[in-house]
Amino acid sequence: MTLTDADLERYSRQLVLPEWSGAAQARLKSASAVVVGAGALGSPVLSYLAGAGVGRLGVVDDGEVELSNLPRQPLHFTPDVEVNKAVSATSKLQLMNPTIMIETFPARIEEFNAEAILAGADVVVDCSDTFATRYVVNDACCALGTPLVEGGVLGFDGLVMAIKPGESACYRCAFPTEPPEGSVPSCREAGVLGPVAGVVGAMQALEALKLLTGAVEPALDRIVQIDARNLEQTLVKTSRRPDCTACARVPAATQSG
Amino acid sequence: MSAQTLDLTGVTCPLNWVKAKLALEDLTPGDELTLLLDAGEPIESVPRSAREDGHDVTVRGTTVTIVKRV
Repeated sequence: MTLTDADLERYSRQLVLPEWSGAAQARLKSASAVVVGAGALGSPVLSYLAGAGVGRLGVVDDGEVELSNLPRQPLHFTPDVEVNKAVSATSKLQLMNPTIMIETFPARIEEFNAEAILAGADVVVDCSDTFATRYVVNDACCALGTPLVEGGVLGFDGLVMAIKPGESACYRCAFPTEPPEGSVPSCREAGVLGPVAGVVGAMQALEALKLLTGAVEPALDRIVQIDARNLEQTLVKTSRRPDCTACARVPAATQSG
Repeated sequence: MSAQTLDLTGVTCPLNWVKAKLALEDLTPGDELTLLLDAGEPIESVPRSAREDGHDVTVRGTTVTIVKRV
């Protein structure tokens, strides 16, 4: 897709990067990303993807903005309380970058609708807040052959994982069994500090931009563990499981990224 | 081998280098791109950026000739 003079000016600070190019920016402009969740992780992910010039953005969230969301979800403002998060996020993103197209899904991703919502995306970024949704998103991306960036945050701990189904370990390869419901505290119970989610979300956006442009290699077959107490980051190696119920049968040829 | 000229006078940093860089992307190694730049920051930064990207650069006054290398 051709870049306009306004594009060159808007994206000039990334275009000057030796790692970036007009071709990379054009790929971004014709690319589509779906972000599952417009909360603490989704806010930075959506902001950076919209800002960087991803041509089509899907925003999925069935929840409403609550007062207790505002300290860590910078896409939502006080007057947005009780507004659907996908709707609230869309209005801010449209102002941030009016040159991109945004599709709003005020829905929860579940097994029955996951593939319909995620189909056609060049990358999916999972910013959901439950393990159930995370496994549904992972399995749907594996079935579709769509690159995925997982992310999670709990207290001062964060996790990021970039996935190319059929080529690198998927979330289920790394964590084969879903933790039983209630066994892991939610952020409502365990608490979360805004910037910790910001760090994780920023890294997810970075990996998504790498997957979309190919300008820099994403960290595949690695689980990035972040300990925000001491700012320590650990790369845990992981690999595909030949018996993975999600990705074992995905041929690498279905790759779109 | 082709030779092109891009008038970037009145275009500020870093947009002038962005435009030159995108023009270079469309050329093949060995091709020549001549840039007309403003004095001051443009003539100081653009040749440096072009060299950092690995191209051959010649500066005459405010005219810069780049031979694409990579």
